[in-house]
Amino acid sequence: MRPLILVVVAALLAVPVARASERHPTLNELEGEVMCPVCGTTLDQSSSPAAQQIKRVIASRIAAGDTKSQIKNQLVAEYGDAILAAPEHKGLGLLAWWLPIAGIIAAAVIVGAGAWRWSRRREPLLPGPPLDPALEARLNDELRRFDD
Amino acid sequence: MTRSARLAAQGLAVALVVGLLALLIWRVANDSNKGVSQALRDGQHPTAPAFDLSRLDGRGRIDLASLRGKKPIVLDFWASWCVPCIHESKRLEAARRQYGNRVAFIGVDTKDFSGDARSWQRKHGITYPSVHDGSGGVLTKWGGLPIPRIFFVARSGKVVGELVVEEDLPRYLRQIAAS
Repeated sequence: MRPLILVVVAALLAVPVARASERHPTLNELEGEVMCPVCGTTLDQSSSPAAQQIKRVIASRIAAGDTKSQIKNQLVAEYGDAILAAPEHKGLGLLAWWLPIAGIIAAAVIVGAGAWRWSRRREPLLPGPPLDPALEARLNDELRRFDD
Repeated sequence: MTRSARLAAQGLAVALVVGLLALLIWRVANDSNKGVSQALRDGQHPTAPAFDLSRLDGRGRIDLASLRGKKPIVLDFWASWCVPCIHESKRLEAARRQYGNRVAFIGVDTKDFSGDARSWQRKHGITYPSVHDGSGGVLTKWGGLPIPRIFFVARSGKVVGELVVEEDLPRYLRQIAAS
């Protein structure tokens, strides 16, 4: 029960943090979410002139009071979708987020179902051949004596 | 699971694998196209890949294919963050004064902010029209980074050459102007 409460509390705390990040983004966080168009890395890992230019523009848009979405939309309008390090949570971008999760769940279901079927298919233990009546009588006699 | 359901599942799995394989092959085949620059190095003269992009100055669009058969073209790939582009674009601006009535000079501002690009043009006195290729999709078809990249396209639409050394500029300009 306690872990569940912790998860719920953490989720509730994350909402205002995300909202603050949307309204008042920092250059540092956006540098990790935006790609340098000429180096194939995020801005925070690049000091190329193209990356410096985008950092300058982001800083000026933050100073002007733009939200994170507005800044990202402006970048996408100039450079296309590839400027974002991660696809957006809308349209075809949703596929990139949910397809791997759906794949993992489907794989887990398939493996689970396979394991369940395999465990059910195991052959039951077959009864052995009937004992020789003389041997059975001797065994019963021995057991009786053992019980006494 | 019935036999028909099992067959259907197996068919689906095989189709999925074949589909992914086809996608991989298509991707590799497309990647093997290194663009105009590589074709020129291989001794070929490909037809200029078409583009239809918005002009930086907001005065409509430029459709490269529409110039085919009408005018030879000098195509300049540049960006405002590219320091060597300043020198090359200024040389083209000077050449435009001599060849401007016979040759179309077109800039392609690539992987760049359009606002910064306009400021850059004003600052360096570049007057020939440029289009905005923010994603770099057009640049990729012509050979990709690094820039500047300057190409010379004959009136027929065939790419004659790419500027490699300074002397290439007057040489190719004379060649395409006579085409």
